[in-house]
Formats: sequence, C-alpha cells, structure tokens
Amino acid sequence: MTCEEFELAGLDLETMQEDDPVLNAAREHLRSCTRCAALHENWQTLRADLQAVGAETKEAKAPLRVEMRLRQEFRTRQKTVKARRAAVYAGWTLAAAAVVVAAVSWAHWRHEYGKGSTPSAVNSAQNVNMNKTTPAGPELGEAIVAANDAGEFTLLPGSFPGMLEDATVVRVQMQRGALSALGLTVNEERAADLIQVDLLVGDDGQPQALRLPQTTN
Amino acid sequence: MHIEAQERDDVLLRRSAKGDEEAFTELYRRHQAPLFRFALRMSGNVWAAEEIVQDVFMILIREPKKFDPERGALRSFLYGITRNRVMKHLERAPRELLHEELVEDAIGQRGKAFEAMTPAEWAEVRERREQVRAAVLKLPVEFREAVVLCGLEELSYDEAARLLDCPVGTIRSRLHRGRALLLAKLEMLRDTPKRAGASR
Repeated sequence: MTCEEFELAGLDLETMQEDDPVLNAAREHLRSCTRCAALHENWQTLRADLQAVGAETKEAKAPLRVEMRLRQEFRTRQKTVKARRAAVYAGWTLAAAAVVVAAVSWAHWRHEYGKGSTPSAVNSAQNVNMNKTTPAGPELGEAIVAANDAGEFTLLPGSFPGMLEDATVVRVQMQRGALSALGLTVNEERAADLIQVDLLVGDDGQPQALRLPQTTN
Repeated sequence: MHIEAQERDDVLLRRSAKGDEEAFTELYRRHQAPLFRFALRMSGNVWAAEEIVQDVFMILIREPKKFDPERGALRSFLYGITRNRVMKHLERAPRELLHEELVEDAIGQRGKAFEAMTPAEWAEVRERREQVRAAVLKLPVEFREAVVLCGLEELSYDEAARLLDCPVGTIRSRLHRGRALLLAKLEMLRDTPKRAGASR
C-alpha cells in the first residue's frame, strides 16, 4: 500500500472488519511509514475529540417551551380551520336558502301574475253578476242580462264612473230613436231601426252607460 | 386517541393534518432531538437551533401536504427543511460559539468522568473541546454537514447520504476533506501551547 492509498482508506480503518485485506495492508504500511503512522494517530485523536464533543450534546433536545408553543399553535390553527369551515358551510347554507326563497317567490309571483293577467282587463263593471244572463234570445222591449265583455260602454250624460262599480249589464232591443231619450244624438233617418243595446244599470235601476254590440252596427 | 409506538410517520402526519394533536405531539417528540442537535452543531447557537426547530414543525402544522411520502421518509424531509433554515441563519448571522450554559449542563451530567481529573487536566480538556467545536463551526458548510452527521451524530455514510439527499461517495469525500481541514486547523492550534510549554 502506498501513502496515497493509505490516506484514501485510512479514514475508514476503524470501521473495517478484522479480516479485511485493506485493513491488513494498511497496518503493514503503518509499520513501515512514520509519516502515515503520525497521520493515523492524528486521525484517531481527531475522531476521539469529535466523539467527545458530540457526546457533550448527545442528549441535547429542544426545550419544552418549543413543544408548548407548537401545541398552542396547533390548537389555534385547528380552531381557525374549524371556524373557517363553519363560516364556509354557513355561507353555502345561506346561499342555498336564498336561492330556495328566490325560487319560491318567483314561482308564487308567476302564479299570481298568471291569475292576475285575466282580470287585468276588468274595468269598472267587473263585479257584474254574470249569473243573471238570460239564455233566451231578446225580443222587442225585452231586457236580458248580457255577457260582460266590458270596456266599450259609453257613459250616459250625467253618469259618473264611480257609480258603475256595482252595475249590471242588461241587453235590450229597442228603436234607435229611443236612444235620444237617454241624451244621445240619433240619426233621424234610421230612428225606426231596431237595435240591440247593452245598458249598464246601476243600483238605483237607472241606466248609467250603454254600448252597441257589434251585430247591431 | 391511542398512538402505537411504531405508528408510521406518514400515518401520524395524516392524523395530525386532520386535527389530532396527540399525533402531532408524537411526531414532534420523535424527531425534534436530532433536528435540534443538527441545527445546534451547525449554527453553534442554542437560540437559533430552538427557533429553527420551531420553524420546521410550524411548516408541518401549516402545510402538512408539502410532505410527499412517495419521495422519501419524513425524517429526510424534516432534515431538508432544517438544512435550509440553518443556511439562511448562517447567511444572515455571524458564527457564534456553542452556548456555554448548554455545554456546562452537558459536562455537568457527565461529572463522574471528570471526577478523577485534576483542575488543570479538566481545564485542558475543556479548552481542547472548545477548540474542536470552534474548528467545526469554521468549516465550510458542506464539509461541516458531513462532519456533524458522521463525526458528531455518528451516523453511517448511508444514513447521512439519505438525509442530505446526495450519493454516499459525496459524503465520503466531504468527510475526508472536512477532517483534513479540521486536522490542519487543530494542529495549528495545538502547536501554539506546545511551543509555549517548551519555552518554559
């Protein structure tokens, strides 16, 4: 073994097995080389020194306060995480509740709106009693209760819109000239024509408004 | 919750991540001492070592998912973080000698070994160890790591290589260079008192 080989292998001599050929060669070299023998002695001294220094702090460990601080941090963190999770759950629950409420409100509004669209055309005569309609065809001077399709009545002179709320629609057949008695202007040439007229009769039995159904025009 | 002594680290870490404080405490107690010693021997400062260990486990509390069991053992992971923290500490702080109180405590615990010594011998031993500690702290970091792990902590080359995540050959060469530097340093120091003694 040369001095260079010894330097390379020398560090591990203490950990080598007794029957290791490198160990035997190194021992042989140590007997013949004083330089390497001195080097080896220095290594052994250094090794012992390092072991002694290592042994001084062999039992060293972090103080208990570090563990306490870490456990405190752990607990705080867990609380924070739980609180954050609870907040997230609460947020989602609220959001879901808001969506449900909105959906129900919308459905309700749609339902109401659907019902409300039919009576939207109700005018002042919406409370007219439809059950009074007479199925038989009208004859001269005979009064019938007409179906109320509302909205086209013309107020007679002296009537007020407010008086029409509880009025009843009555269909009568009459001479056109009779309209002049209600204060309306009549074409003299056709005064003798028979026409059908829907009269809106108030609570007091007085006609408040009239309309001419399409067929009579 | 009961913890088995041989419960695997990754299992404990999973439980810890789910809020099991006992699992976290077990992990801490299992690993803190070698990490503390490594940080202490690398930095030479008790307070820094304490802070480094605390930081390392804070990461385990805050970001447990950073550890991937597929990539290695938790011990290596923790050593890796400790190394990084030590490097940062060494970059910003001047080297400091080992805290005297700790050394006094350690020597005090081993008082019986020193009972047979005369005060002069005892002082000489202390001085010699102080020189070795100082010389280790003055080694370049990569050599110091190898000396601390293999020389002071007495780990095998394989273990040291796993912890430092490098080949065994690298550890051997770093250790070789580290010891050579230490010897050179200590020989210089040793020569001074010898010469002083000879002159008397």
